[in-house]
Amino acid sequence: MSESNQDTTSIQIVDPINSFEIGYELGWTDGLPIVPPTDYKVSEFLEYSNLSGDEVVGEIPERRREITSRKIAANAVMAGCLPEYFPVVLAASKAMLEPKFNLVGPSSSLGGAAILVIVNGPIIKQIGINSRGNLFGPGNRANATIGRSIRLVLMNACAAVPGLFDRSVIGHPGKFSYCIGEAHSETHWPGLHEERGISSDSSAVTVFAAEAPRQVRAVGDPEAILYSIADAASSLGTSLSTSGSVSDKSVGIRQGEIAVTIAGDSSLWAQWTKQQVKETLYSQIKRSVADLKKAKVFKGDIVESDEHTFIPLLESPDDILLLFAGGEEANFSSVIPSWGPKVASTAATVQIEL
Amino acid sequence: MNTVNYTLINPTTTAKVPDFNGAQRIPTLAGTTLGIIDDSKRNADVLLEELADVLINRYEISNVIWHKKPSASRPADPKEINNLAAKCDSAIIAIGD
Repeated sequence: MSESNQDTTSIQIVDPINSFEIGYELGWTDGLPIVPPTDYKVSEFLEYSNLSGDEVVGEIPERRREITSRKIAANAVMAGCLPEYFPVVLAASKAMLEPKFNLVGPSSSLGGAAILVIVNGPIIKQIGINSRGNLFGPGNRANATIGRSIRLVLMNACAAVPGLFDRSVIGHPGKFSYCIGEAHSETHWPGLHEERGISSDSSAVTVFAAEAPRQVRAVGDPEAILYSIADAASSLGTSLSTSGSVSDKSVGIRQGEIAVTIAGDSSLWAQWTKQQVKETLYSQIKRSVADLKKAKVFKGDIVESDEHTFIPLLESPDDILLLFAGGEEANFSSVIPSWGPKVASTAATVQIEL
Repeated sequence: MNTVNYTLINPTTTAKVPDFNGAQRIPTLAGTTLGIIDDSKRNADVLLEELADVLINRYEISNVIWHKKPSASRPADPKEINNLAAKCDSAIIAIGD
């Protein structure tokens, strides 16, 4: 039994073990059971971050919605977070509500993006975010519940409800939860946050509207690994290698950003800077005009020169979000193409306020 | 078992739509200027050019001003909307795909 208004809902619970059922009754879940967002749990989260709950964290003007810290806290409680995770959820929410991220696009598109949350800095160790084995997999509360919070914020606070504003054709499992840490303290490479203007001893989140990760099973030799990563990243059928929905036709394809994770023992990369890796990948992430014509991305008959003319799928090496992350046992990698071209959504980084 | 009362914080939001007054309807399209926003989706231009031809030939629209958005996913730039509002008598905005 429940009674609702816009801000609160009064419920009577007989059996506490079934209390999560209220989430289904009120349509607040992602399909999994939720922790009921009681007023005292939400207050605990807000107090942890010294917030009143009335602060406007961001807006979605196209949907005429304002998102307050209270709404974000309620969703973080429901996802199963601890209060100390809340600053990460708050920063990620703020980042995805930045105008350059253009949340209305990736949260509604047929393209079925999930919002990948990448965490950097000391907070990784402080709250136990996983940046190593089973990087995108299950088993860690912080990753699972922070990522899930973002999906619940999207569905509940941002109206990105599947079948309503969320029109994903296939979506992907990352839409349940998609949060990782970068193990930058275990390499000589700068962390992603440092590359994006945040001091190395601060913590930050980067949000990235993204397709699913594809594992690249190449090991042993840096050049060979990068060749395989670039090959996977150059696939036809990703958002990067298609055309349409952009007015700038000078390149002919949409291009975009791409996240690349590299796992294993960082000593393999001792002779490589992050920038060198990015530049090497950039020069190899491309597709021939002949292939693009076969896939009908480009119009016209194939001529001999098309086999040797290549179109880069990225505009710049800086459009690669390179992360050292994943298990220590093997140099497996992953490639994660952006949901769309940069003009439609660009990855955003926000410092975590602690 | 005893019944326990709880208060939950609603995690959802509702749209807040400000009041607005729609533009006055125009009595005829003949001799007027039409604005068209192309959303950049594939074939939107084909559809909208055909539509513009129909409006010119059948309803005697005298002038068409086009704006093409840089991306289908981006809202139209308010500057472009204001520009069309200042120069046009009517406008068509549509999602082509």
